[in-house]
Amino acid sequence: MIAVEGVVKRFGAQTVLDGVSLAVAPGEVVTILGSSGSGKSTLIRCINGLERLDGGRITVDGLDVADPRQLAQARRLSATVFQLFNLYPHMTVLRNVTLAPEVVLKRPRAEVEAEAQALLASVGLAGKADAYPAQLSGGQRQRVGICRALAMNPRYLLLDEVTSALDPEMTAEVLAILGRLAGRQMGDGGTTMLFVTHEVEFARRISTRIVFLDQGRLIVDLPTARFFADDGGLAHPRIRQFLSKMAPSNTVAGAEVTV
Amino acid sequence: MRHAGFTWHDGALLAQGLGVSLGLFAGTFLIGLVLGSGAAVVRHFRVPALSPILHAGLELLRNSPVLVQLFLVFFGIPALIHQPLAPLSAAGLTLSANTAAFVYFIAVAGLDAVGRDQVEAARTFGFTRMQVVRHILAPQAAAFAVAPLVGLAVNQLQVTSLVSVIGVMDLTKAGDILNLRTLRPFAVWTMVGALYFAAAKTLTLLGNRWERRLRAHAAPLEL
Repeated sequence: MIAVEGVVKRFGAQTVLDGVSLAVAPGEVVTILGSSGSGKSTLIRCINGLERLDGGRITVDGLDVADPRQLAQARRLSATVFQLFNLYPHMTVLRNVTLAPEVVLKRPRAEVEAEAQALLASVGLAGKADAYPAQLSGGQRQRVGICRALAMNPRYLLLDEVTSALDPEMTAEVLAILGRLAGRQMGDGGTTMLFVTHEVEFARRISTRIVFLDQGRLIVDLPTARFFADDGGLAHPRIRQFLSKMAPSNTVAGAEVTV
Repeated sequence: MRHAGFTWHDGALLAQGLGVSLGLFAGTFLIGLVLGSGAAVVRHFRVPALSPILHAGLELLRNSPVLVQLFLVFFGIPALIHQPLAPLSAAGLTLSANTAAFVYFIAVAGLDAVGRDQVEAARTFGFTRMQVVRHILAPQAAAFAVAPLVGLAVNQLQVTSLVSVIGVMDLTKAGDILNLRTLRPFAVWTMVGALYFAAAKTLTLLGNRWERRLRAHAAPLEL
């Protein structure tokens, strides 16, 4: 369980997260929606320990991320996929995927490499294991980013606007993979996903729950069906306004979700 | 005074001098490389007290003439400790420290040039800060630093000629002896210069090859 309790985060005079509370239970796929600057990415960065909290508390399976020792443990439970991929440019695709399992989890190289090859094959990158990130397209890079995260066998997968830097075609290929992942995980207590995205229609299809951040405050936290109900999330004027602006792009990704 | 012509013995003298110069260069450059990179990592971790002290010391070394540093070590330290210091030891000490200073600033720039986003990614996967340095920062910093390091190496090779003034029998000192005996300065210093040139050129070629290899991995062709 990821438990976010009354988290406050400020950058200088600006309060980016203003008392946010959120619980993500195992097996859930929770999407965080909200306009740019609402604090979505900052919330993810607080959970994986990249930002120091100014108030409140975040625990991952009971481990307090504000404590360096506990954070080191917590980081083995979650893995992050980044908006700009953040791959290691000096390493091959295969090495990008195997490095953390080998160095952090101290697993034997042969075993990790075999797993990594299988992961890469499952996202259509079987032939790219020896390529360098700069030789790949954006969509391919992000698929490597997903494999790199999955190679850690994380209990929690944190996805921070993973398609925002991609064109529609590449977005579709990445979302198809995530849809498959979410489908596979639903209900079996596998990887839990916390998902920051602008792909509303996709979020609707794969999420079990949707929360809405507005100016650093979490104003709605509802099961997906309720979020899109007229007397649920849509009753909230701020959300109605947000969704109407998203409308032109919310059907962009024709990603198939095969559960 | 007898004006002797060149003999086979002179070739041996020059070869010996060249050996001393190259040995001194290789030894001090290697030590400087290790110390300078180490200091850069200390700065990266912002180690309290040690980091600013190292920075100030290396800044002093970088911004004062090597010859002055050489005199300070060769004449100054014996005066302080009341123990003579062998010319070669003084030369080794001075050139190592001086090289470390230049390597430090190159390594710091190299470490700073690596994108923060990769470091953040590695941190979220649970790498310790030392593991980040080893696997993510150092290899890429090395690729950034190799070109300025090759330039530095060529320069430090030439700088070794200064140690002749405190009596180290290097290539320049050998040339000096030869010149005094034969009184043919143009021929002697042309030969000495050509030997330095050959050594420096070889170093550049080796460095370029090393650079190509490092960069092939660090920055493959952008599409």
